[in-house]
Amino acid sequence: MLTMNNIGKIYQTEMVQTHALRDFNLQVNEGEFIAVTGPSGSGKTTFLNIAGMLEPFSTGQYLLDGVDVGKLNDNQRADLRNQKIGFIFQGFNLIPDLNLYENVEVPLRYRGIKASERKRRIEQCLEQVGLASRAKHLPQQLSGGQQQRVAIARALAGEPRFLLADEPTGNLDSLMARQVMELLEQINRDGATIVMVTHDAELARRAPRNIQVVDGKLADFTLYQGAPTANAHVLEGV
Amino acid sequence: MFTHYLDLSWRSFKRTPLVSILMVLAIAIGIGVTMTSLSVYHMMSMDPIPSKSQQLFHPQLKTMDEGINWWTSNDMPTQLTYQDAVNLQKAEVPAKKSISMRSGFSVHLGDGSIKPFMSQARFINADFFSMFQLEFVFGDSWSLAQEHNATPVLVIDSQLNDKLFAGTNSVGKQLYLDDKAFLIVGVIKQWTTHIKYYDLNNGAFNETENIYMPFPLVEANQYENWGNTNGWKHESIRTFEEKIRSEHVWLQFWVELPTRDAKKDYGEFLLAYMQEQQKIGRFNRKELDFALHNVTEWMEFNNVVSEDNKVMVALSFMFLAVCLANILGLLLAKFLRRAPEIGVRRALGASKTQVFYQHLVEVSLLGLFGGLLGILVAQLGLWGVRITRDYYENLATMDITMLLAAPAIAIVACLVAGLYPAWLVCRTNPAVYLKSQ
Repeated sequence: MLTMNNIGKIYQTEMVQTHALRDFNLQVNEGEFIAVTGPSGSGKTTFLNIAGMLEPFSTGQYLLDGVDVGKLNDNQRADLRNQKIGFIFQGFNLIPDLNLYENVEVPLRYRGIKASERKRRIEQCLEQVGLASRAKHLPQQLSGGQQQRVAIARALAGEPRFLLADEPTGNLDSLMARQVMELLEQINRDGATIVMVTHDAELARRAPRNIQVVDGKLADFTLYQGAPTANAHVLEGV
Repeated sequence: MFTHYLDLSWRSFKRTPLVSILMVLAIAIGIGVTMTSLSVYHMMSMDPIPSKSQQLFHPQLKTMDEGINWWTSNDMPTQLTYQDAVNLQKAEVPAKKSISMRSGFSVHLGDGSIKPFMSQARFINADFFSMFQLEFVFGDSWSLAQEHNATPVLVIDSQLNDKLFAGTNSVGKQLYLDDKAFLIVGVIKQWTTHIKYYDLNNGAFNETENIYMPFPLVEANQYENWGNTNGWKHESIRTFEEKIRSEHVWLQFWVELPTRDAKKDYGEFLLAYMQEQQKIGRFNRKELDFALHNVTEWMEFNNVVSEDNKVMVALSFMFLAVCLANILGLLLAKFLRRAPEIGVRRALGASKTQVFYQHLVEVSLLGLFGGLLGILVAQLGLWGVRITRDYYENLATMDITMLLAAPAIAIVACLVAGLYPAWLVCRTNPAVYLKSQ
């Protein structure tokens, strides 16, 4: 599903050269649920941005579903991102002017899906996260947990095979965080591959597979519980 | 996606109404000023008779003796002598031709029913009506016999007919010019041309004449011309006889040459004519020269659109550029403030091209609003121009071309101003904003 070989990312300023990632190797298989942990500034988010093709990498090779991302232009990367990846952010990142229906519709618009099919998918996804009745509400009329559920519905609407979640429960209280986590687990059981960056050790433990990023390198991994046998292997940490 | 982008643009407009209205106002003022000067320029320079402008020609003959120069750019007078005009009119070629001379009279009905008033008249040959596509409402042109015999007949236009005869058929009635009675043989629809291209000697934007009379009446009644008379040597023109035999130029002359061959043939005819005239002591020069300008060439030759007008148009476009510079700044602020939302859209699958396109649609919508409001500003500007001089009445208006051009120019101008902000916002790194939101 996702293969990173010797990925390096360097941020260059006039004075300083910062290695955000170096010799980063990772293989993520179909259907996995991976928690990525690590201290602040270790490169977790950089990894997630590169995985989501939001940032270019400096060195190495990144294959997503067999496609060499480094050889794609911006339009091709945008298409691939739209087709295969769903994002869930810590700050929800809903567009404030759009109601829930329209927010969930955004990725489908860019994919050029017909209105009737969009409607079907949006209603299905809002139903899945329990917010179908509030489709016409604006994001600011919802609680943080509800907003995150809308963001999940938006990520699911495009039926992506790969979900990238950056601190999805970071802005939520423990009850809401648990609900969101249960939702993600359900989505994973339904077949989606999930990579979740988190600071929360308890949440990380709920993921079948853990990896840790320290100083831009993959430092460790732990298999905590009930991971599918297909996933109970791998990891070329450095 | 276009309608979706329009929807997003409208939402963006409503989200920041003050900035959006400021931008629309800036465009409207810029477009209003530009369209005011451009509309006047357009009306001044547009082809006044598109279907025939390439077939109607005004000849120039180099009548002066060797060593004498004229002040025009081609060193030739812009009018003809009486002798040349009459000779060329009598020639067999081309089929349609007409002398033209402006004059004027005190007009009345001879019965004291109306107070006499001054009116302009034009002496022409009968071909003039069809050459310049003048449409008869009542009656017809005078006959060739009437023209040759200098019969006191005339044609009036509908404006004068309305004034004197309340718009009824006045053919067969009498009209007095000064103290002479003339028979009305036809009434033409008022000749509304914004440029008086057929006689550029007496103000290119003056009104057309109300009365048209056979040219032979000029000699028969010794009528004076209301226009320029120019000479290149000392000659006595104290009497009318002296004037018509002189080398003074004071008549316009038009010929209709429908084809390129006809023009070429007529050129050869003019050369042959001048050679014949040399035998009787005229055209004393080694090289004979002539020119044939069609209507558009004639307008250009006579500088109908002055340099001042061109400078005014250029200045108004510079003013538009200043307005656009302000809009560019406002667009930059507006678009960059939206960078976080663009980051989200990029993460959700929008390409840079799509983001760029979305913002160009938004600036186009601003341009459309600004252009439409600019039309109203331009109407105000044109009204201001119209009240300064009478002859701007027909010139300071917006025709359909200008009405359509206003929003088109506004949209293009906004697209130009919006290119940089749109390019900048589509290049923003989405990752930066996704984390920081």
